[in-house]
Amino acid sequence: MEPNYEELDADGVLELPAEPMRLNMGPSHPAMHGTIRMVLELDGETVKDLDIQPGYLHRGFEKSCERGNWSQVYPYVDRLNYVSPMLNNVGFSLAVEKLCGITVPERCTWYRMILGELARISDHLTCNSATAMELGAFTPFLWCIKTRDWVWDVLEQETGARLTHSFGRIGGMAAPPTNQMKDAVLAVLPRVEEAMAETEALLLKNRIFLDRMQGIGNLSQARALELGVTGVVLRSTGVDYDVRKANPYMFYDKVDFDIPIGHDGDNYDRFMCRFEEIRQSIKILRQCVEKIADSGPVNVEDVRVILPEKQDVYNTIEGTIAHFKIVMEGVKPQAGEIYSYTEGGNGELGFFIVSDGSGTPYRVRVRPPCFFNLAACREMLVGDMIADIVPTFGSINMIGGECDR
Amino acid sequence: MGTFKLDGKELTFEAGDTIIRAAWRAGIEIPHYCWHPGLSIAANCRMCLVDIKSARPMALPILAWDEKKKDYVEATKNKLQPACQQEVSEGMEVESKSAPVLKAHAAVQEFLLLNHPVDCPICDQAGECKLQDYWATSQKKLKREGPIATGFEPVHKPKAVRFGPTIVYDGERCIMCTRCIRFCDEVVGDHVLDMRERGNKNEIFVSPGRELDHAYTLMTEHVCPVGALTSKDFRFKARVWFLRSAPGVCTGCATGCNSWVDYDPRPMSSHTGGRVYRLRPRDNANVNEFWMCDDGMLSYKRFHEDRVLTGRIRDGARVVEVVRDEAIDAATAVLRSFAAGGKKRIAIVLSAQHSNEDNFLLAKLGTALAAGGTRSVYLAAKSAAGWKADAILRDADPNPNRAGAMAVAAGPVGETSALVKAVLAGEVDLILSLGFAANEAAEDLAGLSNVPHVNLTTNIGPLTQSATIVIPVATTAEASGTFVNGKGVAQGFTRAVHAPLGITSAWETLNAVATALGHDLALARLPDVRAALKLGAGSPATAAEA
Repeated sequence: MEPNYEELDADGVLELPAEPMRLNMGPSHPAMHGTIRMVLELDGETVKDLDIQPGYLHRGFEKSCERGNWSQVYPYVDRLNYVSPMLNNVGFSLAVEKLCGITVPERCTWYRMILGELARISDHLTCNSATAMELGAFTPFLWCIKTRDWVWDVLEQETGARLTHSFGRIGGMAAPPTNQMKDAVLAVLPRVEEAMAETEALLLKNRIFLDRMQGIGNLSQARALELGVTGVVLRSTGVDYDVRKANPYMFYDKVDFDIPIGHDGDNYDRFMCRFEEIRQSIKILRQCVEKIADSGPVNVEDVRVILPEKQDVYNTIEGTIAHFKIVMEGVKPQAGEIYSYTEGGNGELGFFIVSDGSGTPYRVRVRPPCFFNLAACREMLVGDMIADIVPTFGSINMIGGECDR
Repeated sequence: MGTFKLDGKELTFEAGDTIIRAAWRAGIEIPHYCWHPGLSIAANCRMCLVDIKSARPMALPILAWDEKKKDYVEATKNKLQPACQQEVSEGMEVESKSAPVLKAHAAVQEFLLLNHPVDCPICDQAGECKLQDYWATSQKKLKREGPIATGFEPVHKPKAVRFGPTIVYDGERCIMCTRCIRFCDEVVGDHVLDMRERGNKNEIFVSPGRELDHAYTLMTEHVCPVGALTSKDFRFKARVWFLRSAPGVCTGCATGCNSWVDYDPRPMSSHTGGRVYRLRPRDNANVNEFWMCDDGMLSYKRFHEDRVLTGRIRDGARVVEVVRDEAIDAATAVLRSFAAGGKKRIAIVLSAQHSNEDNFLLAKLGTALAAGGTRSVYLAAKSAAGWKADAILRDADPNPNRAGAMAVAAGPVGETSALVKAVLAGEVDLILSLGFAANEAAEDLAGLSNVPHVNLTTNIGPLTQSATIVIPVATTAEASGTFVNGKGVAQGFTRAVHAPLGITSAWETLNAVATALGHDLALARLPDVRAALKLGAGSPATAAEA
């Protein structure tokens, strides 16, 4: 670029500024997912310091929950981590059921695990392939997203929606598994494995990819623990903390799977952990499909929680009253507060919910895993190059809907 | 005063208290249908059964299922007692949540719903029905399987029976708690309702040759715990779970019954929003206990019927409707020229229908305008013609705030008839009046339009018809305020709905007029007005706060 003549000094020499340059990256920047602003202090292309400012996707999720009834929160939790909404549905269901003291039938629990693990696969496929794309490798992105669509086909067949399922219910699910569910799950898993193998073949011997991933975006184990980081970002530093193992919920203690961990806490470890977790999810899914019963109840048999059959509603007064109570006042958990946590797509997804005994939530507080992961992002990036921001930021799997709520 | 234990919790009781009343005092509800704190004890619904642990139990022989023997064996159980009938004694231990009690509640509830019609979707009680509430807390189950659920024809009884001009009865929904009968007998002293037949033919009926037509018929609907009695006025008008309640004070008479103003909070632009749908008694042991009369219950209609919603300016014999702000401008111009004129004799007409706040601002503005002239004060009150007082609730004076208005006047107050004479005698140059009500008919007040007469009103009435300029203002449902009842008790009420078309309360309107005229009364906020009222002469707001 031609130098601007005003910046030349008297001798016609171009004087470069010595102080760091301040640069705003985002929020309207494709790599910032449209929702994050980073204020960078740059020395040339090296990041000296940066300030990460979330909040552009804040939409009052938690406050909105205090308006409807407990069941009406489901569409909101769909939109937290919208890359794996089924995991949020399951997490919220478990929280309210814990407060109500409800235990769902076994078939429902297996079904929730199946849908949840499918969502985890789609989450990790999205994150890893996007990281590759952000380094210029567009083909893996297309392959993985195509595979994700096949996973979504299964979710669509089961829930009726590809992305925002709103499929969880207090005390059960919106519908029982379809007859084709097992076949569909077993059919899609080899295709996921194939896509991963192809992607790894493309990337893992690629010098450019390795150089951009290995040793970039490092996070030490000690700092990760201090910052409350969870999920893959924590496990990539060598901590084997996974809620599914550390505090087994549903039937995760009845299936055999391993927790992959890294040791450097860099982009490469996070990438490899995610792909290995997909393999573990596939392992879990095969066991779940084997164990889930072909018939049996999915919803609890309490008509104060689950809507009665229409035949009862139209023909008996008890059914009519049950319908009225659930629709007009909502399910009423006992007054109290609980914290319930599950392994979400990007870490420990916690729901701290408070009930005053009415049908309307008194408080729904979400522990968004990626908010804590995002807090660790500054330390990962200081000292790296400006071009490293994009893959590093991508590899923490920050999802605006969940981070900002 | 002694203490006893309910579910392990220490409660106090007063001499003569039953278990349910002592619990009710402590804010604990023991499920019940037939018991009402204001009525006698019937103990016929059996919903309030409790287990009294401390007394020597009356053991009932029963057959209990033995899981080991796979057979019924002889056993005993405590006889449960109705909490509404059992008097508390010192140190008594009562269980209201133990397994046998809950089982009894569930059984009673199941029995009551056995023949109940599937009416919730068309029943006005749905949403505030005890049958629904106790199903959720006590029965919790669908109808049991078997012949009862399939192919069984429930007992049919008369539906939609006209009991009188205000009440409709549905025999199938009735649970025979007899609250309505007891209310008529004990509170009204009119034995117009009774029960006839037994078992499946049991029903409530009206005495032959009579109608349910005393002054408190709507209270029978209010005490009905289910949807058996419904009010013709409220039937099919609104669903109660869409309504919200604001604490109000009835405008019907000087008793000042405390009420809940039930309104639809949705915007006025929606099909049903922004309207008051009914009044319900708000319990106040010192004023109205648990009751209100029919006229009081229906006084909410005045919030929406015969309203003045636009300004009105008299042009000779013609009255022209103008937008509200234009009427305020015209009134301001009239008041300005009065203040600038030579003879300054103003007549202030306070209203026994308006709140202390409204009357206070009117008196303040009148005083400010009369500077350098004279000010005479009158009181407009609704005529008692056609109004029947009684010894229960209905006061002889059909005005809610005569005492408050008199206190605001803090001096001699004339009748509206005296004002007409004064105007005709040429002793008054300007009238500033509040409210629509007056003791006389409109034609008797015609003389009041001989001089400029500015009237602020909510509804059409004789005083309004004799004004030259009318400014619409908010009703008691649309603005917060204070009334002082006939016994000198000051009672506040809170705004329920928003006033339509940008209309404001009378005191806000008067404050705006005063500001436009250059008088800064420093009374722009309700707390300011109330503080000034307390300091002012007569102190109506401090007269025995409710």
